[in-house]
Amino acid sequence: MFDQLFDSALLDSALRAMIPILLAALGGAICERAGVFQIALEGMMLAGAFAAVAGSFFAQSSAMGILFAVGGGVAVSLILAYGAVTKRGDAIVLGISINLFAFGITGFLLPQIFGVRGVFQHDRIDGLERISIPLLADIPVIGPVLFRTTVTAYLSFLLVPALWLFLFRTPIGLRLRGVGERPAAAATLGVSPHRYKYAAVIASGVLTGLAGAQLALGNVVQFAENMSSGRGWVAVVAVMLGRAHPTGVLGASLLFAFAEALGFRFQGNGLPVQITDALPFVVTLLALVIARKRFARLLDLTTASA
Amino acid sequence: MAIELELRGITKRYPGVIANDAVDLTVRSGEIHAIVGENGAGKTTLMSMLYGLFPPDEGEILIRGEPVVFSSALDAIESGLGMVHQAFKLFPTLTVAENVVFRAEPTRRGLIDREAGHAQVRALADRYGLAVETTALVENLPVGVLQRVEILKALYRDARILILDEPTAVLTPQERDMLFDVIRRLREAGRTILFITHKLGEVMAVSDGVTVLRNGRSVAELVTAETTPAEITRYMVGRDVVVTPRPARRSPGESVLSVSDVTVLGEHDREVVQGATFDVRSGEVVGVAAVAGNGQSEMIEAIAGLRPVAAGTLTLAGVDVTHASVADRRAAGLAYVPEDRHGVGTAHNATVSENLLLGYQREAAISRGGWLRLDEVRRRATELVVRFAIKSPSVTNPVASLSGGNLQKLVLARELAREAPLLIAEQPTRGVDVGAIEFIHGQLLDYRDAGGALLLVSAELSEVLALSTRILVMFEGHVVAELDPAAVDEQEVGRYMTGAHLTATHA
Amino acid sequence: MPEWSVRYVAGLLRGAATSPVTHSLLLAFVAGGVIVALTGQDPLVAYREMFGGAVDGSGLRNTLSRAIPIVGMALAVSVCFRAGVINLGGEGQMVVGGLAGTVVAIYTPGPGAFVIPLALLAGAAAGAAWALLPAFAQTRLALPILLTSLLLNYVGRAVTGYLVRFPLADVSVTLATTRQVPESARMPKLPIFGGVSLSLLLVLVLVVAMAVVYARSVVGYETKMSGFSGRFARYGGVAVERQTVAVMAVSGAIGGAIGTHLIIGDALRFIEGELVLSGLAWTGLLVSLLAANRPILILGAGLLFSGLQIGGLAMQRNADISWRLAQVLQALVIIAVASRMSLRPRRRREADSVEVEELAVEPARVGQV
Repeated sequence: MFDQLFDSALLDSALRAMIPILLAALGGAICERAGVFQIALEGMMLAGAFAAVAGSFFAQSSAMGILFAVGGGVAVSLILAYGAVTKRGDAIVLGISINLFAFGITGFLLPQIFGVRGVFQHDRIDGLERISIPLLADIPVIGPVLFRTTVTAYLSFLLVPALWLFLFRTPIGLRLRGVGERPAAAATLGVSPHRYKYAAVIASGVLTGLAGAQLALGNVVQFAENMSSGRGWVAVVAVMLGRAHPTGVLGASLLFAFAEALGFRFQGNGLPVQITDALPFVVTLLALVIARKRFARLLDLTTASA
Repeated sequence: MAIELELRGITKRYPGVIANDAVDLTVRSGEIHAIVGENGAGKTTLMSMLYGLFPPDEGEILIRGEPVVFSSALDAIESGLGMVHQAFKLFPTLTVAENVVFRAEPTRRGLIDREAGHAQVRALADRYGLAVETTALVENLPVGVLQRVEILKALYRDARILILDEPTAVLTPQERDMLFDVIRRLREAGRTILFITHKLGEVMAVSDGVTVLRNGRSVAELVTAETTPAEITRYMVGRDVVVTPRPARRSPGESVLSVSDVTVLGEHDREVVQGATFDVRSGEVVGVAAVAGNGQSEMIEAIAGLRPVAAGTLTLAGVDVTHASVADRRAAGLAYVPEDRHGVGTAHNATVSENLLLGYQREAAISRGGWLRLDEVRRRATELVVRFAIKSPSVTNPVASLSGGNLQKLVLARELAREAPLLIAEQPTRGVDVGAIEFIHGQLLDYRDAGGALLLVSAELSEVLALSTRILVMFEGHVVAELDPAAVDEQEVGRYMTGAHLTATHA
Repeated sequence: MPEWSVRYVAGLLRGAATSPVTHSLLLAFVAGGVIVALTGQDPLVAYREMFGGAVDGSGLRNTLSRAIPIVGMALAVSVCFRAGVINLGGEGQMVVGGLAGTVVAIYTPGPGAFVIPLALLAGAAAGAAWALLPAFAQTRLALPILLTSLLLNYVGRAVTGYLVRFPLADVSVTLATTRQVPESARMPKLPIFGGVSLSLLLVLVLVVAMAVVYARSVVGYETKMSGFSGRFARYGGVAVERQTVAVMAVSGAIGGAIGTHLIIGDALRFIEGELVLSGLAWTGLLVSLLAANRPILILGAGLLFSGLQIGGLAMQRNADISWRLAQVLQALVIIAVASRMSLRPRRRREADSVEVEELAVEPARVGQV
């Protein structure tokens, strides 16, 4: 049973499931560190996926797809930045409505631009190429998984240590954490909370855009309506479980990705798709229950009663 | 001596208020200059403008004769000013060193040079006798140390002029004396200190010169050596104020609140209150004196039902309320004026009427069959607003627009109207103006004389000494002493508050 | 016209003209127009079709029909939002309740007067039960309802999908669906505008009832205070935890009943994934936000958003512009309004915690709403 379940194909599908969640969650972690409650990841990822397909289709280049995806993610992130930072609006209300906006606008543009409903597939959409790293790709089992993959995947691997170094070892990272913790204290020392929060939200736009590109040009080569299907929310949970720490976020993302990949595998073994689809969310909920002590801050943020 | 700092005609207006009205201030180099005034006199507004937090409407600031215009605190810092705010502006999860070097971090190849940071901060601390552990996380430090971190922050930025806003408010008398030593050492090193306070004893003890603010104006500039506390007081309040405790009209009666061997858990299940035992009887005021963070807040929360009691029993008016709900405690006879009147005592967006209704909404006079009698709600609210002279345009206005004093009067009105046998009053006069303080003290003593049992917690030792029948001192979660306010002074209470009596007995 | 009525109307108009909601609506329509124009279509045509389609022909009937679930789901979420409980699980509660109600409607014999109320009750009970999961997760395990209720939407979707594909499936059709609701168990239609479900009346009664409860009852007062500040409510003796559980149950019950209506009063079959397609629960959530959780305003905002969607469908038929523009507009309105509203008490700024009277006149507080 286990031999059948755990092989490099499973690792591969887990990895593919992980990349979008990880990228989005790293973006969420930056926002969390800067003190912006970021629950618009779902919508930003969806917008990124749509823009990726559009860019790749029109320019017939996956590079342009990635560029468009980043643009799409950033564009949506700016709505959040303006509303929550400049106008001091409620980040929860904004996050929810931005998600619905992204759902609506991609659903609107799909028939308007491509003349189809539901799913857009086309030969002219240039998917992300899998790039092999010589030698490393030949390592048994993990080699083909980790070192024969997309550019966005490589980027996400590099981002984990890079973000750690940035947050905990650079002056800008220190200031970002300071802004998130005590904006007024940072402001009196000449560090503008506004600017840092904007930068954090835009960075999350870039990363969720990349997540969308991986989703629509890497994992599959198409745009399907609402194709983020909850991954952005899982990323929100990953940020909380990983305490907005890059390695913690990596671990949480990996957990959820394995659940998704296992679900996919069980499906192949005859379990109904309805049940296996629920698996990542059930695992996410269980992880929440197990790690519940960590949510005091979020609870404080989201309830009036704390 | 040269003039280090001069303010000329500084004016700041807000809708309906003139916070600062043509304030003048002259401070010499190497001087400890006190700025005194009652709450609301405009001290903090003035210092905020000096520190560049917002600009004055009129007037100018000169540093060593040069006019300066600050558009942010950063400008002020660059001009050699440093400020230790009353509410510390520190980052709890960062280390002492990180807090100090923040935005002026020593770096090596783009990364923070942590060794250099620690070394620099440690050197600075040693030089001025500011004992701190540079690797400690700020969230784990007591307030006295936090203040040293704030001073280090200013010194690290090479502040020539250091502004200390009410620096002793959070300190024990012993910590205060240490602070004064540091200040004197800074003066010897040629730095200038602006010391904001409303405590005259401190002015006399440490300052060289004094500027008195009243109602937003500078009313006097005095040389400390040539003046007296009485003179400063006259300038501060415009009349002589003598705080005379009103003697109780009757001797204490039966026990209303009985706290027996109560243990309360705080964060990480730490025992923050251990085996507290005391009574509060009708017709008496029991004052609780403690340095912030010694369990007094948690103990009050446990009595009020906002925090579970881990062990021991609570009896209120003869009823065991150890594990009772807040509603049941209130029904048994609890009234409570909480420390945080903004977050706990009131709801900002709710109206005056709604704020006055809380705790009564299920009483027969107010509601029937689950439906509110809105005319009665309104009538009662109007009556309380009039009786307690709460200044609000109408009872349907949100309380967000009320001043601190009026907000506190609202909370007090609601809680006193319960006519409950027990009243807990936490920091009842913190941050309210002189008139309101007198009013609130009067109401509290009337309550006592009407046979109420009052449990008073206050950071103002003078208030505790003036109002209490008995004083309980808490230290590290224990009630360590019961004192007679007539027989002790602030120093004596302070010794118990810091646990100094423990070392004395053991030695 | 007497002078006072002129002044009253003028006052209303002035209020509407200066209201941030009006500004947000205008802003959303302008932005939506720009989006339409960018896709090469004429925004004026789009809006003409949209507004016309909402009322022309069968438009009014459809607008009223769609307003039933939108207003209903808005009322459901308003119960929670008013009390400061962020229930994002309306969709799951609606779907789970909807299936339970459908099953009762299909399999319970008897006259409609008995089966229909029973189905609504069953739907309400199941919706409430589904809502209690995140409620207890918060009160017992300290897990934020915001996340658990939302994640349970996906689980609810999957569980109902499984049930209608396997145990409850109608094997005579290829779709994953239940059998059709028998004639006798269908919600009757009111003879107005060519037939609108009787549920409309039920929703209207609910609007009035909730308006009265919110404004005049003890629990209405207590939940409102909890929404303003949970710490304040708890200090005053309100059992906030119990209240959280109660509002979630009520909210889930309304959602479950609405889900039931969507089948027995409209679709007649519970088809896998159908109920979530048009995002009614989320539209309801936006409506409640726009109406600041006030029932009478919810009715108005619900009719507006329903009209946008029905008009959008007409626009799609007649001008070949996707009806999803309606969803874009709805979200844009709330985004525009959002900077002025809050689900939670606004956090006091750090400077405010300084216990100094003078700060009362500092800009930080003056600038605050």
